[in-house]
Amino acid sequence: MNKPRLIYASSLSAALTAAFVTVITIAAELYAPLKGWLADLSGHHWTSKSILSLALYVAAILLCYMLFRDVHAEKVRRGIALAVWSAVLGSLALFLFYTGHHLGWY
Amino acid sequence: MDVASIIVAKPVLIGLHLGFAIVGIDAFLWLLGEFKYAAWHATRLRISALIGVLGFALSWLFGGYYYVTFYGALVRPVIKAGLAPWAHNIIMETKEHVFLFIIPLALTAAFIAFLTEEEFRNLNIRRQTLVLVGLVAALGLAIGAMGFIISAAARWGTAS
Repeated sequence: MNKPRLIYASSLSAALTAAFVTVITIAAELYAPLKGWLADLSGHHWTSKSILSLALYVAAILLCYMLFRDVHAEKVRRGIALAVWSAVLGSLALFLFYTGHHLGWY
Repeated sequence: MDVASIIVAKPVLIGLHLGFAIVGIDAFLWLLGEFKYAAWHATRLRISALIGVLGFALSWLFGGYYYVTFYGALVRPVIKAGLAPWAHNIIMETKEHVFLFIIPLALTAAFIAFLTEEEFRNLNIRRQTLVLVGLVAALGLAIGAMGFIISAAARWGTAS
């Protein structure tokens, strides 16, 4: 197991997972059939998002580990920064979206 | 009453959710201290990272079971009908989804904790690692604060 490659793959997968959760959550609030589909999938929309996000993380880490073989220090640094920024921006996006939703901005 | 029915009782589930989250947050604060201040100690780095990941994972499991089984039916209607419906509409909705960011970030930090000191120095990722580990602890603390707001809204939201 190449540890820098694993860290890089995990960073990209964490960034992808944060983006996925943010996008599917906002999309499901704006498009009721998507929320209905998520609810039907496991019995609750949040449980479905939990399962899908975990599955995506695991699949992405395997795929990224196999695809990106030439991983050097700069890539690892950028990968971790991407994971951090995705989580920060995803958190802000969700907070602002639900604030606007509650206040009736859209 | 058997052990399983005690574990899935509402106050116990809340306690397990919060308790394991505190374990996760504390372990990541410990990990942050190891990376920032201590000489490289592989065993302590790995143990603190693994305790942190396990704590957050168990908090996710117990909190998720409580949320899906009881929150929507019993707590949400009380908050929505009370003086602070925003506690559900903004805080709870944000909390339940931001939580999903934590495990992938925590696992990434745990993989870093399994590097050797030489690998860590060669990659030159100390600053990024401190930010990542600090973010996991900060997200955990923010989610804990959100949980406090939600609980307070459910308890006191109808009082004038």
